Amino acid sequence: MPRAVKGVLVECDPSIKAIILKIDEDHHHAFIVEDLDEDHLVVKEAKLAELKERLEKILEKTQMMEKDDDSDPDQPG
Amino acid sequence: MSGGNIRGFSYLENLPPITFRRLYQQPATSLAIFRRMLPNLAKVIVTTLLYNDKPIPLADLEALIRPESHRQREDAFSKLRRLHIIAEAADGISLDPVFKKNFRLALTGGGSHHSFGVPCNTPDKKNVTVAFLDEYAQKKFESILHFMVGTHNDTKPGDGVIELLCIGKLMERQGKGTQATITKNGFSFLLQEGNSQIWALLIQYLDYAEDLKMEKTDVLHFFLMLGSLELGQAYAIKTLTLTQRTMLTDMRDYGIVYQRKASSDRFYPTRLATTLTSESGGLRSASQTMDVATGADKADDEGKGFVIVETNYRVYAYTNSPLQIAVLNLFVRLTTRFPNLVSGRISRHSIQEAIKMGITADQIISYLTVHAHPQMRKNLVILPPTVVDQIRLWQIEGERMKATQGFLFKDFTTAQDFEDVARYAGELGVLKWKSVQKRCMFVTRHEQIAEWLKRRAAGGKR
Repeated sequence: MPRAVKGVLVECDPSIKAIILKIDEDHHHAFIVEDLDEDHLVVKEAKLAELKERLEKILEKTQMMEKDDDSDPDQPG
Repeated sequence: MSGGNIRGFSYLENLPPITFRRLYQQPATSLAIFRRMLPNLAKVIVTTLLYNDKPIPLADLEALIRPESHRQREDAFSKLRRLHIIAEAADGISLDPVFKKNFRLALTGGGSHHSFGVPCNTPDKKNVTVAFLDEYAQKKFESILHFMVGTHNDTKPGDGVIELLCIGKLMERQGKGTQATITKNGFSFLLQEGNSQIWALLIQYLDYAEDLKMEKTDVLHFFLMLGSLELGQAYAIKTLTLTQRTMLTDMRDYGIVYQRKASSDRFYPTRLATTLTSESGGLRSASQTMDVATGADKADDEGKGFVIVETNYRVYAYTNSPLQIAVLNLFVRLTTRFPNLVSGRISRHSIQEAIKMGITADQIISYLTVHAHPQMRKNLVILPPTVVDQIRLWQIEGERMKATQGFLFKDFTTAQDFEDVARYAGELGVLKWKSVQKRCMFVTRHEQIAEWLKRRAAGGKR
């Protein structure tokens, strides 16, 4: 009989996946249940929010987001 | 759309079998579940079985269904199994006896179950018209929506309603005794269509009622009964159970029923109640709820749309309603306000703020579409495609990873096993990912597959 494991399937780019793998490694493999292929992996449901947060933090450091200009160009001042 | 897919309502599918057995004891409830929760094919199966005293072999039933519709067939059967409507034995399939008996009663009448409510035929002192009920329901429900966005309206919803909104995490209080403020969930609740909103509240109520030691089935009976009542007709209170009488007070606060006085011996279901279990209830869109909420003039149908979106992402909204402005403010950066107009701009920042609050790009687009100004409706494509695409792109940009909850199946013994299960999962539409080499797959629901595996292991059939 096959086994079923509860979890969350994460689809992402290979680049993002590499970061997730790194996060997992740094935290004693607390996140990943199974590494499926280059752009899919299964993580623990309870850990998803934390993983997202950590990922955002790392991306913030490494990526330069263009500043969003909210001002209206057609309006003076 | 065949019923059952509405968030909130689908929660009912996960009730334990014993609850269903009890639910089927009332004809009105059986009928409501049939009408609202079953896909069309499942309805056909139920009606086929209904007046057959003997069980029908599975093969005979399957012969009724086109072979190429196996996906719908599996869906229908699994729904029926999950709702415990059908029972399977060695000699075939039959309906659950309690369901069968009460569903027949619902269709043909008879019995003294009072489950469709007892009409109150003595004339009421004050005439209650349908128009009055509509207005009453609107006012009540509107006050809830207004309260959620924090516009100060003259009618504040009852404390019970506020409590429920807080428990359901649609609103939250920072500290004791402070004003409740709207949460992320609350915002996406606001953009839902009317019927889903009401069900979302009722489901919340159901959970809450259990904490108050109210009988869950009693509460559910009442909800589903409300759906089969007739608008404009008064119903007697004396046949209701004690729990249900307590509920009436709360239902009054939502605008679902009307009672002139708390001590009155009758109640009137409003339109919110009578559309609970009908499929047409879903037609009331978010826009109409908004119109209800903002008290937009119903007679003036053409005046519905008020939003103009330009290709340069500028937004002009001809409104002075605080609720509509508050909703627009969720995803538009509003800059100027005039007596009858607000204007602003959609920007990456404003959209991503909205997405952070749990609002989806599709919700924003559909809101803008249904509220588009008549002038914009003259175009073949209502919203400028560049804006629509950009809103979607902004959403994708924020999603670095796409997460889907579900189950990973692994350790299949043979390749054949794997193939079979993968095909079955594909037919059900629950398969998200599979790998032949690794012999594992990811599915969104496991109940049906587990059941199928069990049956296969037991019977070696199919």
